Amino acid sequence: MEILNQLSAMIVGLLHDSGFGSLSWQNYVMMCVSFILMYLAIKKQYEPLLLLPIAFGMLLVNVFPGIMGMPETHLETYQQIIDQKLDPSTFATVVVDGQTYYEHITYGGLFYYLYQGVKLGIYPPLIFLGIGAMTDFGPLIANPKSFILGAAAQIGIFLTYICATALGIFSPQEAGSIAIIGGADGPTAIFVTTKLAPQLLGPIAVAAYSYMALVPIIQPPIMRLLTTKKERSVKMGQLRPVSKLEKILFPIIVVTLVALLLPDAAPLVGMLMLGNLFKESGVVDRINKTAQNELMNIVTIFLGVTVGATATGTNFLTIQTGGIIFLGLFAFSLATASGVLFGKIMYWATKGKVNPLIGSAGVSAVPMAARISQKVGQEENPGNFLLMHAMGPNVAGVIGSAVAAGVLLSVIPH
Amino acid sequence: MGENMTQALIMLLGGFIVVFCVLILLIIIVKLYSKIVSSVQNAADNKKATPQAQEDAPVSTAQPVTVSASSEPADDGEIPGEIIAVIAAAVDAVYGSQPHRVRSVKRSHSRSAWGRAGVAENTKPF
Repeated sequence: MEILNQLSAMIVGLLHDSGFGSLSWQNYVMMCVSFILMYLAIKKQYEPLLLLPIAFGMLLVNVFPGIMGMPETHLETYQQIIDQKLDPSTFATVVVDGQTYYEHITYGGLFYYLYQGVKLGIYPPLIFLGIGAMTDFGPLIANPKSFILGAAAQIGIFLTYICATALGIFSPQEAGSIAIIGGADGPTAIFVTTKLAPQLLGPIAVAAYSYMALVPIIQPPIMRLLTTKKERSVKMGQLRPVSKLEKILFPIIVVTLVALLLPDAAPLVGMLMLGNLFKESGVVDRINKTAQNELMNIVTIFLGVTVGATATGTNFLTIQTGGIIFLGLFAFSLATASGVLFGKIMYWATKGKVNPLIGSAGVSAVPMAARISQKVGQEENPGNFLLMHAMGPNVAGVIGSAVAAGVLLSVIPH
Repeated sequence: MGENMTQALIMLLGGFIVVFCVLILLIIIVKLYSKIVSSVQNAADNKKATPQAQEDAPVSTAQPVTVSASSEPADDGEIPGEIIAVIAAAVDAVYGSQPHRVRSVKRSHSRSAWGRAGVAENTKPF
């Protein structure tokens, strides 16, 4: 009988400790959201490299919230330690008001430690290092006017900032973090959000990466709406070849200038340009390969799962998340539209030499946005190759959104 | 709220101006150093080129002419059967098991073979 009682007590205890006993309905809803995201990543292949780790992190944290648990130190008396059948000599002691206490430390969950790379702003610049090592700034150097289109697409960020403030449910810090979704740059959005409004990291990261995955669906209708058939058919002249020396000097000059003007953008732009210098210098092939592949992949895994793990049920299922999802789409569309409109201005200014479609590529999202410019251009004229021309504004958009991030970080108090 | 909106407006204008100024500054600097680099390199090339100019000149002008002449296939409107077979095989390789049919093969007059090779070379990394 005694054995049966103990057995039933053990089973009840196990059930109580299990997820079924401790999880709330929000956790179950978030599990379903993570299943949908996993479906989109695996079946539809929407940005699977990031969406899959994000979705899995989301699943894990909602099944077992302790995986993001913070480390804690409890002060316990000698008796409490003995009651737990622990050895008091293995604990550090402190004396408070003449009474000796033992420091009982419980360690944090796995993701708590991995998340420090996000929280302390380490992963996003490392991702930028890899992006820099993969990016060819040649089209931008050959046609520096592309910088204008990269800047124009950032208008979306600042207009969204106004709208988010006007809604009245977001603080200036939160509005800034939401607005940066319009930069269409995942690492930049995460970097800014961890500094300004870390509590919104989950919804903002999910919104930013979802919309980047949806670039092929969001952008083309806006591009077609704002341009005429004649404008879309414009063929652009061939870009001039860029010498190796120019490519080597570019990252050095850009980082010096941007970091001097906007120190807050220095970590992002600095690592981007370091990666690019690895690539262009041609003398550190091994480091270059590591930055592009191994390091980038490792950081992507850590960043993805831990960002996903910030989306706990109670954090994610709020009215604010609805606002973020809506404003994110708004920011993205606005950025595309302002890029295309500036493309039109350049079309008029150059008397029809610039195809306005390359403007939409100003919203970073490398190289997807440039591919969309190419695709929409080719629909009008199958012999038209806009890809290289669109890569100019595309990589300028990366620098532009880092600069915009620097502006947000330096103006908004945090 | 009112104060927040004023701050937001200042942010809009300020952000706009700063982003544009920084990127326009970058345009100017990139243009400037591109000019300097190309002029320095031209000067260096000229120095190197002068002693050999006499020998090099005829070769470098003659070569492109012969190559480009032979690279342009005679365009009589007809596409040889072998080419059509190769195109059909390529289409088959891409579409695999999906049902597909090649209805017509038209010659694109947009670029020369060299132009297309250039485009392919430039767009390959993306």
